[in-house]
Amino acid sequence: MSNNHTHTEGTYIPETYIPHAESHGTGSLWRTFWILLGITIVDFIIYFAFGASMARNIVFIAFGIIKAILIVGIFMHLNYEAKFLRWMIVLPAVIFLSYLVCFLLIEGNYVSLEKYF
Amino acid sequence: MSNSSAVSSTSIWTGGRSPFNVSYGKLMMWIFLLSDAFTFSSLLVGYGAIRFSYAGSTTPWPDPATVFNHFPFAHGLHLPLLFVSLMTLILIISSVTMVLAVEAGHRNSKSEVSKYMFLTILGGAAFLGCQAWEWTQFIHEGGRLDSNLFGFTDAAHEHAKHLKLFDPVHWTEADKISGPVPFASLFFIVTGFHGFHVLSGVVINIIIWINVMRGTYERRGHYEMVEKVGLYWHFVDLVWVFVFTFYYLI
Repeated sequence: MSNNHTHTEGTYIPETYIPHAESHGTGSLWRTFWILLGITIVDFIIYFAFGASMARNIVFIAFGIIKAILIVGIFMHLNYEAKFLRWMIVLPAVIFLSYLVCFLLIEGNYVSLEKYF
Repeated sequence: MSNSSAVSSTSIWTGGRSPFNVSYGKLMMWIFLLSDAFTFSSLLVGYGAIRFSYAGSTTPWPDPATVFNHFPFAHGLHLPLLFVSLMTLILIISSVTMVLAVEAGHRNSKSEVSKYMFLTILGGAAFLGCQAWEWTQFIHEGGRLDSNLFGFTDAAHEHAKHLKLFDPVHWTEADKISGPVPFASLFFIVTGFHGFHVLSGVVINIIIWINVMRGTYERRGHYEMVEKVGLYWHFVDLVWVFVFTFYYLI
């Protein structure tokens, strides 16, 4: 179709193919580390500064999601991977998890195990 | 312009090159981690559903701050969250040493890879030690898979509300009633499942570290295996973020 990949034809073996990896330097890694550390410290401060409430829980979960995005994107290098790989990993997780969490939030308080224990 | 970009975006699926531009092993590691993410999220959602079901019940879900409030060498003081924050810190540090090992691998620097791998293994072992200590405390105070002494009487609940950081605290048997069994069993199941991941991560890290030192990857010309074990290790850290949030913070 196009000839921009003809140079790999004949040499590409899926089982042994290793793309050339290059270093992006350690700057973004250390920055991510300090952000993760900072968020954990803020978590800690909020925990003692405010009493338990729904707003506090939402803040904790939002911080958790930010930490998850940083770990997956920078530490696990997903931000730098090919577009199709990114979506193949992220989309099923997001769709399936939001499905589970929605049903937990909608139906969760109907469940009463009281009578079974 | 739009025509040519359409051609190049479909041509990656016509064969002759890797559409994801990753090696086979790394792609399989990603797919494994995706399935593992589903396992952990099912456990956490199950935890949420069971915890919800105790809302307004006569044996309410215990407040984690009154249960996990110990710190080594500070016996009898009320120190909630401090120890798990330390564990989180250890795991974040071991995560950054792991990613530095991966980065050193991209530069084919054998000495740096083995140094950072060693630090990562130390961090993992420290985390496991902390978890063992926490489990010991919990079991010692009455947490079991099939029973749970962490239901507190109304008077103890009232007392717990006014506890401040560093207050001396000692719960007697009279303060405790039998609480929700799933509080203890889910704690063992979820932190145990995560801890087992950490343990296997440490074992795999040690194997890869030995290979690094023996020069296996230097001869191979690339440090892909370090990247793969790094993905697994960061995933363990990722799961801990949510275990920390749902078990201890909320």
